[in-house]
Amino acid sequence: MLFFSFFKTLVDQEVTVELKNDIEIKGTLKSVDQFLNLKLDNISCANESKYPHLKSVKNLFIRGSTVRYVHMNANSVDCTLLQDASRREAMVQAQTSK
Amino acid sequence: MSLQTESQSQEPLDLIRFQLDETVLVKLRGAREMKGKLQGYDSHCNMVISEAEEYIYEVNGNSEPVVKKTEMVFVRGDSVILISPIN
Amino acid sequence: MSSFHPINPKPFLKTLINKQVVVRLKWNKTEYRGILVSIDNYMNLQLEQTTEISEGVEEEIGEIFIRCNNVLFVRDAIVKKGDAEENGDNNGVDKEVAMNE
Repeated sequence: MLFFSFFKTLVDQEVTVELKNDIEIKGTLKSVDQFLNLKLDNISCANESKYPHLKSVKNLFIRGSTVRYVHMNANSVDCTLLQDASRREAMVQAQTSK
Repeated sequence: MSLQTESQSQEPLDLIRFQLDETVLVKLRGAREMKGKLQGYDSHCNMVISEAEEYIYEVNGNSEPVVKKTEMVFVRGDSVILISPIN
Repeated sequence: MSSFHPINPKPFLKTLINKQVVVRLKWNKTEYRGILVSIDNYMNLQLEQTTEISEGVEEEIGEIFIRCNNVLFVRDAIVKKGDAEENGDNNGVDKEVAMNE
């Protein structure tokens, strides 16, 4: 649930999603779910419109499993908060698996 | 009993916890490596890395990798092969 | 007829902790030789003093964590005292002889 909460803090921010098929999509993150599926608004293809079939698309849904990276602004992220949350999540995971 | 559990060897993911805020090298599927500061992770190996450099190795044996820099990136865990601390 | 004691995967891995192991990945025949530090329920692995063996090239990479889904197998590394290959072959032959008897 950690990264679900993390992405919720990024809603309404601009992100660039790089998919496993090398398509890069820049857009405003509107929505995320527990599978880390994403909805982006007002998108533009970041790599020189090498893949023009998305030219007319404004908003889209991305299945979480197809994502390789999500790039974001460093200022959007509270690093100490994220580190602390990871430590707690790791402890919880270890305890639930034992 | 509690003394016994404390002296048990920790699990691999527990030990990644010690790498938070440290520089790590992550080997990824598709001949890629990502080096940067580990800010967050979970049991799926989803990670957030800051000040990251991505190295993409081409198929034509041992030519120089393509380097891409990002200030903050989320890496999905299913691409991760291995994680190694860098001093 | 003779007593057969099954060794299941989890207990087998636990016997390998603190021993030198070789982990082969599913991809590119890449192997990692190192000391197995710890495992978890998913069989994620942690190795130290690791050497990466890939396409004949060996590189020391130190401490690593291997995500479980990448692993093809984990085996005990034969610690070399002299010629490891001879030792390996001899072991195979001995086993065959024992079975025929």
